[in-house]
Amino acid sequence: MRPDDEGQHGRAARRASLPALFAVCLKIGVLSFGGGLSAWLHQEFVERHCWISEDDFASSLAISQMLPGANVVNLVVCMGEQLRGPLGAIAAAFGFLVGPFFAVIGMSALVDRVHDLAELEGVLTGVAASASGLLLVICWRGTRRAARHASGLAIVAATAIGVAVLKLPLLLVAAIIAPISVALSWRRVKSDA
Amino acid sequence: MRDDAYLGLLAVFVPFSLISIGGGASIISGMEGEVVRARAWLTSREFVELFAISRAAPGPGTMLATLVGWKIAGWGGAVVASLALFVPSSLLCYAVFRLTNAHREKAWHRAMREGLAPVGTGLIIAGVLSILQLSGAVGLTATVAFASAVLVMGLPRIPVLMIIALGGATGWLVG
Repeated sequence: MRPDDEGQHGRAARRASLPALFAVCLKIGVLSFGGGLSAWLHQEFVERHCWISEDDFASSLAISQMLPGANVVNLVVCMGEQLRGPLGAIAAAFGFLVGPFFAVIGMSALVDRVHDLAELEGVLTGVAASASGLLLVICWRGTRRAARHASGLAIVAATAIGVAVLKLPLLLVAAIIAPISVALSWRRVKSDA
Repeated sequence: MRDDAYLGLLAVFVPFSLISIGGGASIISGMEGEVVRARAWLTSREFVELFAISRAAPGPGTMLATLVGWKIAGWGGAVVASLALFVPSSLLCYAVFRLTNAHREKAWHRAMREGLAPVGTGLIIAGVLSILQLSGAVGLTATVAFASAVLVMGLPRIPVLMIIALGGATGWLVG
């Protein structure tokens, strides 16, 4: 970042307290239904509370998406660290996850309690199906992005076929294909530069 | 007995934590392989139900692991499974962020990002295929899944919960 970028739009000014950080993450965690969360985190951390600058948010998001783990959890870990160090990262991640933790278990306990209802099986099958549909959208977008390069498309296909059709262990497939894919994209990035 | 269950959960979820490229959806297929096929902790039916609940509830889809832990070993299992899945990836992310944030937009960042993204997509496709295979009514599941996907693509502003509710209602009426 150039020094003259550090105006109103560059660097966030306000300092976050640990309880405030925890509270914001708790709120987003409890109300976080089905994705689109990075937009919401942006709204809270960058626009509303002015804790994180646009540039810092973008670089945290890039790291979160590149590494394994739930993207939003990675994102709050990065922002928590930036705001308050290790304790901030813990407060943010814990705040974000504690609500969903009790929510899923509560819902599952409720489902177990009314399990005699024959209708419930159909409802859950339908919910699983529509949730798979939401994932299909992610697959479609990811495949289109990957299809910009022939090798990207091949990597998508090889991974999916290896795991779902050939039933090879996922760890094995990822351990073989991921380094190959990164090496291919490294060569591309180098030749672009 | 319970200690064995905890160790088993750690053995399954710690490696998956570090391989969940693109988020929790990418390890559905692998979890199904371990939890249903290899270890027989859950039936296919139970696994699909937990998947449905984890997606209808708030939080990242990765909460599926929390539910698997809870089913197998109660509250302790839920805590162990959650920690096993969230702590390793979070520590890795923390470390990478600390070490690399000073010099951002390096070429290797881009190479990692663009290289891992197609692997993540492939894994999520495998996850969707696993759920389709596990669910008893493949035709109904595939139709509802496809219709939900078309709906979301056509109406990007539609709330996710409404899609989930429509799916549940369809399953209730047809199933």
